[in-house]
Amino acid sequence: MNSLNTDQPRVQSGAGSAPRQVFELDHLTVNFPTRKGAVPSPLQRMNLKIEAGRITTILGRSGCGKSTLLRTLGGFIQPEDTGGVVYKQHFMTGPTPEIVMIFQENNLFPWLTVEGNVKFGLRFRKEDTRDQATAVSEILASVGLTAAAKQYPHELSGGMKQRTAIARALITRPQVLLLDEPFSALDISLKRHMHTLIRELQEHTGTSMVMVTHDVEEAITVGDRVLVLGGNPASFLIDEDTTAPSMLDRYSSDYLELQKKVESVIY
Amino acid sequence: MNSIDWERAAPWVVGTLFFCLIIALWEVAGHNELTFTTVMPPPSEFLSMVVESGFRIGLGSQAASLDEAILATFGRVFAGMTLAFIAALITGMLIGLSRFVTWCISPLLYVLAPIAPIAWIPLAIVVFGINNGTAVFIVFMGVYFILTIGTLAEIRRVPEEYVTVSGNLGASKWQRWVWVVLPAILPGVFTLLRTNFIAAWMAVLVAEMVGMRDGLGAIIMMGRNLFNNELIMFGMLIIGVSGFLVDRILAFIGKRILWWRV
Repeated sequence: MNSLNTDQPRVQSGAGSAPRQVFELDHLTVNFPTRKGAVPSPLQRMNLKIEAGRITTILGRSGCGKSTLLRTLGGFIQPEDTGGVVYKQHFMTGPTPEIVMIFQENNLFPWLTVEGNVKFGLRFRKEDTRDQATAVSEILASVGLTAAAKQYPHELSGGMKQRTAIARALITRPQVLLLDEPFSALDISLKRHMHTLIRELQEHTGTSMVMVTHDVEEAITVGDRVLVLGGNPASFLIDEDTTAPSMLDRYSSDYLELQKKVESVIY
Repeated sequence: MNSIDWERAAPWVVGTLFFCLIIALWEVAGHNELTFTTVMPPPSEFLSMVVESGFRIGLGSQAASLDEAILATFGRVFAGMTLAFIAALITGMLIGLSRFVTWCISPLLYVLAPIAPIAWIPLAIVVFGINNGTAVFIVFMGVYFILTIGTLAEIRRVPEEYVTVSGNLGASKWQRWVWVVLPAILPGVFTLLRTNFIAAWMAVLVAEMVGMRDGLGAIIMMGRNLFNNELIMFGMLIIGVSGFLVDRILAFIGKRILWWRV
């Protein structure tokens, strides 16, 4: 499956200068095909660069186009050919195993155990089964699920389910992890645990991550960069770097100031 | 000492007791020679008749032992249901793979589905003759269309995320059907198979009544031809009890082997 279109080479502007980017939206326009013709989405001629090796979070109201944007980054939605998503110097033309997506629910196959679900990520790859078994136990340990390896998804809590999904995604060593409101169904304390975990895993693996959420706290504490998408046609109303340590402290003035700014735009 | 779990035992105990009560009332009616017991002889009469004849049903060269009759019917039902189950999964998945196949086949499915399996008997006898082929075919026709339509519905119900996730992890189109769609739809289609077992069971009995010389349905017909009401009642009891047992077996498979819900 060759999902990267090699016929349309495209040189990134300023290639080599830091920071390295993983995606570039170049006049990205997405329309939804229907029987009565294409219906425009809020995403019209969008331009943006997303840096590699960081967590970028995208906030916005329901229907602002954030999930559509994420699916387009994953290659699951094909944009209009006036522009598109540049990944590895080419316009994306479809999904690739290098970019893995995690959803809010239905990530796991109910007929497989935690271990089976994680191993499913390697099923279609040609690797030694002994190496696979080691990889599975290592990744389960890193998300704290060693004890639950033989359990089935219906026996797990919401947080354990999402940790399994993350483990399965990371075992394939993807370049990019896309997260579509993955923690929305979890209660607040579990959510904060997951935020810490996802940051640790990102630092450990160096995977580029893009997360869509409607939770302002989540966006600021998890993200290295927070984007707020809004309007129709949509634009990025806020684009903040949140790498400063103060952004992890929910009572710091920097954090509160940004929270106020974001909330005034969203609500 | 473990005490009996009444919560779990209650349905069984009450159900069995009520069943016994009905049998007892029937026996009492038989001893008092109420009119209806001449056409519906009570269990003590028809069971003793069968025991006396050494569990062989029928006369002379046509006689067959009871276990042969039960095995013949079960064999036909299971063969027909298994074939229909596999065929429905294959058809459903082929239809799911291609829109063109859907357009071709779905009108046909909905035209053929409402035809009662019994209506196929004359045709089947011409094609297969009076033998197992006909009986298996009738069972197949009784379940196949409903199962195929059910398979299609189950395929539409498979969460979009499953398909995306498997594609993401590098599964090809075929691998996705084998490793994701098939396991996702199996329990639902199997439940449908179980609910349609009754239809298959009835279909095979009718087929046996119409033409076969063996099987449980043939016992009823033999009783009718011999004016032997004991034989008819016995046949009906065996049919009922066998059907009940098979349903329990299918329920067990559904609960223990294909237990997951999508």
